[in-house]
Amino acid sequence: MDLKLLWKQRRTGFWNGILPYLGYVIQSGVAMVFLFLVIAFSAWYTSFVQNIPAEFPIRWIALLLLAPLVLFSSYRTYLLPADIVFLRPQEYRMQEYLKNSFARGIIYKSLGLLLVFVTLWPLYVRADLDARPFGWFIVFLLLWKGLSSYGAWQELRMVQVGASRGYRLLRWALAVLAVGAWLWQPPQRSVWFLLLLAVVYIVALRIPVKHRVAWERLIQVEQGQAGRVMRTLGWFVDVPSSGQKVSSRRWLSKWGSGLPWNAGKAYRYLITKTFIRTEVFSIVLRLVVLGMLLSWWTAGSYFGVGVYLFFLLLAGVQLGALRRSHSESFWIMIYPISGESRRSQVLGFIFHLHALAALLMWLPMLAAGASGLTVTGVALILGILVIVIMRRSQGNKWLKEEEDE
Amino acid sequence: MENAQSPVLQISGLSGGYSAKRPVLHGIDLEVGRGEMVGLIGLNGAGKSTTMKHILGLMTPQQGEVRVMGKKRDEDAQIYQSAMAFVPESPELYDEMTVMEHLEFTARAYNVSEADFKQRTEKLLQLFRMNEKSTSLSTHLSKGMRQKVMIMCAFVAGPPLYIIDEPFLGLDPLGIRSLLDFMLEMKASGSSILLSSHILSTIENYCDRFIVLHRGQVISQGTLNELRLQFGESDATLEHMFYSLVQGRD
Repeated sequence: MDLKLLWKQRRTGFWNGILPYLGYVIQSGVAMVFLFLVIAFSAWYTSFVQNIPAEFPIRWIALLLLAPLVLFSSYRTYLLPADIVFLRPQEYRMQEYLKNSFARGIIYKSLGLLLVFVTLWPLYVRADLDARPFGWFIVFLLLWKGLSSYGAWQELRMVQVGASRGYRLLRWALAVLAVGAWLWQPPQRSVWFLLLLAVVYIVALRIPVKHRVAWERLIQVEQGQAGRVMRTLGWFVDVPSSGQKVSSRRWLSKWGSGLPWNAGKAYRYLITKTFIRTEVFSIVLRLVVLGMLLSWWTAGSYFGVGVYLFFLLLAGVQLGALRRSHSESFWIMIYPISGESRRSQVLGFIFHLHALAALLMWLPMLAAGASGLTVTGVALILGILVIVIMRRSQGNKWLKEEEDE
Repeated sequence: MENAQSPVLQISGLSGGYSAKRPVLHGIDLEVGRGEMVGLIGLNGAGKSTTMKHILGLMTPQQGEVRVMGKKRDEDAQIYQSAMAFVPESPELYDEMTVMEHLEFTARAYNVSEADFKQRTEKLLQLFRMNEKSTSLSTHLSKGMRQKVMIMCAFVAGPPLYIIDEPFLGLDPLGIRSLLDFMLEMKASGSSILLSSHILSTIENYCDRFIVLHRGQVISQGTLNELRLQFGESDATLEHMFYSLVQGRD
């Protein structure tokens, strides 16, 4: 069996399944919105780079932008549940199969990191009086990205889930520490520190017991990755639903239990549990926290209103994914829950969460005080409009889909 | 019109399948009365699951009709679906819910009162020895435990009719015994059960009647004694009679 060929066939098969949907994504207007955002950002950024405020915290900005990209690692293996039976006899040769996943996992994300770095460079080199040389900065970023990716790959192989989680936290901490040291410390001192850090990390990675091929883990991760691609497409076009990563989040487990005890709220109960345990929750939470920070930072300016509305829109799109969560669920066809009940419960839930997100991201704008009252008021009115329009759009879309069926 | 004597499930002249040109079921007639446990038996591909899908409303009959509590699904889908609970052959659970949350979702969907839900849940968790797992996500359960959750969900709903497809797969011996005992208890309280299983020696002593499906047709039905009379052996086992019935037709 040619394992390299099998990997290529699976990769081609997956992306061939995605390609037909991309036309719909472009038709949905996302390309125009993206182009508009790029042009608007370019205009604002060019002007900002020419008039950088004094004491601009460029090192913190660079740390905030670069560290997540350095530490973020994910891999597509295209493994299937049946591989535990049919590929397992080839386990001793699986490096042939998996090295493609490893290499591509690093290459594409490194390109993304470089793109952000090159975009940031004009701002960095003007704002930091002690800027690091361009070439050496790239070498540092690529080397640490490689090390971080290697660490993430080893985490996937670890036998103990607890060890894997611990090492993930260690990898994140080291990436932040490394980027911080590179930005703040004198070059000679930071290089020796980074070398020491890297050696200790590599040695530490050898300690935990690892599988040769962690079949179950890799398959689970792959299902999560494939599901993420499908869910992203699901924002624009009706695609088959796919398994997604579920987290226990015990601290939120009471959410939903207080709903009135009647059949009308049954679907709301299900969708609440879906929200708190799936990735939609973590994505929306991150968006809201980031949105709150940016709202506070840009309070009192119309640029801030734009940022606020942009984050509100993103949160709405993410919450809209809940609409499709159980559209093809077996039990929804069997249980006595009417289509009308499902529609009203899901849309109501999304609306309430969206309104809460809007409020949370708007409150920091009050930091502008009395001088920014008009801008803050405009943001509030436009925010309410965005929520109402998205609610109507989702309702109409749902009805149209029901009519089509 | 529905009355106390009318069957809970009534299937008349049912033909259907995935393709109109090649129906799987051919004129099925069967009934399940109140407080009756009926065994639906047949080889793989005989049409047991297809019959159940028609009852559940997942498939539409090409000919004939299915009535639950005297109502067809298109007359009132809400009442029709509320009147039955289903235990599938393979457990179908929501990854994002715990065992207890599955039970609560089911109870809410079937409009079971909170007090009844608590009482039934306590009993079922104890009966199937799932108390320790009640707060576990379904992804952390073994196959047998997942099957137990399916069974508990059906029983927590407490409808007049249970459709149970191969419930013993993956269950441990104590689980099988608990299920059989509980089915008898449900039956005694007036509930009706249509049960499909290949483990004939197990269901032989529990079901009131048996319906033998073969190639999409009912080839025999009756109580164990009626089948023995038809077969001509007063002490024949269900397995022996079934084997002879289908062998003679292949």
